[in-house]
Amino acid sequence: MNYTDILSSKFEPETTGTTIMAVIYDGGLIIGADSRTSSGQFVADRCADKIDYVHDRIFCLRSGSAADTQIIAKYVRYYIDAHAQELGRLPAVATAANLFRNFLYEYKDSLSAAIIVAGWDPYKGPQIFTLPLGGSVIEQKWSIGGSGSTFIWGFCDSNYKENMTLQEARAFVLHAVAHAMYRDGSSGGIIRLLNVTKDKIEREFIDYKDVPVK
Amino acid sequence: MIFNSEISAQQQHTTSPVVTGGSVIALVYNGGVVIGTDTLCSYGSMAEFKNVEKIAQVSKNTIYVSSGEFSDFQQVVKELAKIDRQALQYDDGVHPSPRDYGNYLARLSYKKRCKINPLYLQNVIAGFHNGERYLALVDIYGTYLESNFVTTGFASYFCKAIISNYWNENCTLEQAKQVIKECFKVLFCRDCRAHDVIQIAYVDEQGTHIEQPERVETKWDFNGFKTRANEKLHTQ
Repeated sequence: MNYTDILSSKFEPETTGTTIMAVIYDGGLIIGADSRTSSGQFVADRCADKIDYVHDRIFCLRSGSAADTQIIAKYVRYYIDAHAQELGRLPAVATAANLFRNFLYEYKDSLSAAIIVAGWDPYKGPQIFTLPLGGSVIEQKWSIGGSGSTFIWGFCDSNYKENMTLQEARAFVLHAVAHAMYRDGSSGGIIRLLNVTKDKIEREFIDYKDVPVK
Repeated sequence: MIFNSEISAQQQHTTSPVVTGGSVIALVYNGGVVIGTDTLCSYGSMAEFKNVEKIAQVSKNTIYVSSGEFSDFQQVVKELAKIDRQALQYDDGVHPSPRDYGNYLARLSYKKRCKINPLYLQNVIAGFHNGERYLALVDIYGTYLESNFVTTGFASYFCKAIISNYWNENCTLEQAKQVIKECFKVLFCRDCRAHDVIQIAYVDEQGTHIEQPERVETKWDFNGFKTRANEKLHTQ
């Protein structure tokens, strides 16, 4: 491409061209994401945190337009906070997923947002809800999303097993995200992992030199 | 017999690139010219071909690299090889100099540009001839510029500042290589279509030297990067 393409009137919105993933294992769930936020060909943020906080045990992984997903997550965070105060106990992951769904469905013509809602609640344990572009809600045992996910469907389909241990699930997510980052130009940088269980949240920072595939 | 290509009004080749090579950075140093490029060819946003050696030795004292459509690069390498072969017909022992290659490429690019069928490339030709260093940029339109340093693609945005602060035309080979490596570290961090395995080649009095590809070291374990977490923002 020549210089004029970069400077042209086509304004490239900042997107999380990205790789995001969540997997349920026996006792909790593991969330993984890369750290690249791109604006066209430019890396706007090379160490982003795409694992967005919704509630103490509910997280969302954002892909699509960074602006759209950030503002939706902000609203849902607010609604869930108010709801949890009134309820007096941890909110259900399905509630958060439904609140996201309302935005994505009602404004489907204006938004470019696909979200994975992942978390733990005392009613049904670890759950993952995938919300693709149109606003549907699909509950799954594992989910991948973002532009990098296209490169790892084969890897994930053949390596996923039910009832993995924490170590197996962590290795699965780490290698899958690394493989996606290896091939997707819009994903890259470091890998952030999050382990969500009943008792705690554990964050892990995988430095670029420890990424298994590069 | 009528072939399909004859039926269509004009044959379109590269109007938008398919497989693209990344940025190229070339610097002159006290004993010659050094070029660096990465070893990735992208298929749109996909990093499809890694470990591609993109530095072409055109003659004993000339090297050629380009960024842009990779098939056009390969075609130009063939065209430049033809020049040397044709020169043999004169049987006078005169080989094309680096400037001859640069000039030919500029004319070829301009001709294709005039037919709205460009070679989708930013070309860099580097050489050393009769004790003189040669470095030129030929762009997609056939613009020909000789210079002491050349950058293509994203490197033109990020690397000119690094080059003007840390390089001068009389530096040593090691200093020039170090500047190129620093530039590619920045590109790997900030260009989506960059790769951290780069290849460096240089031309001096003795001829062309193309080195093995190597990985540049980038730093990611800053404290701020590690401890940055969205739950901290929202629960404090």
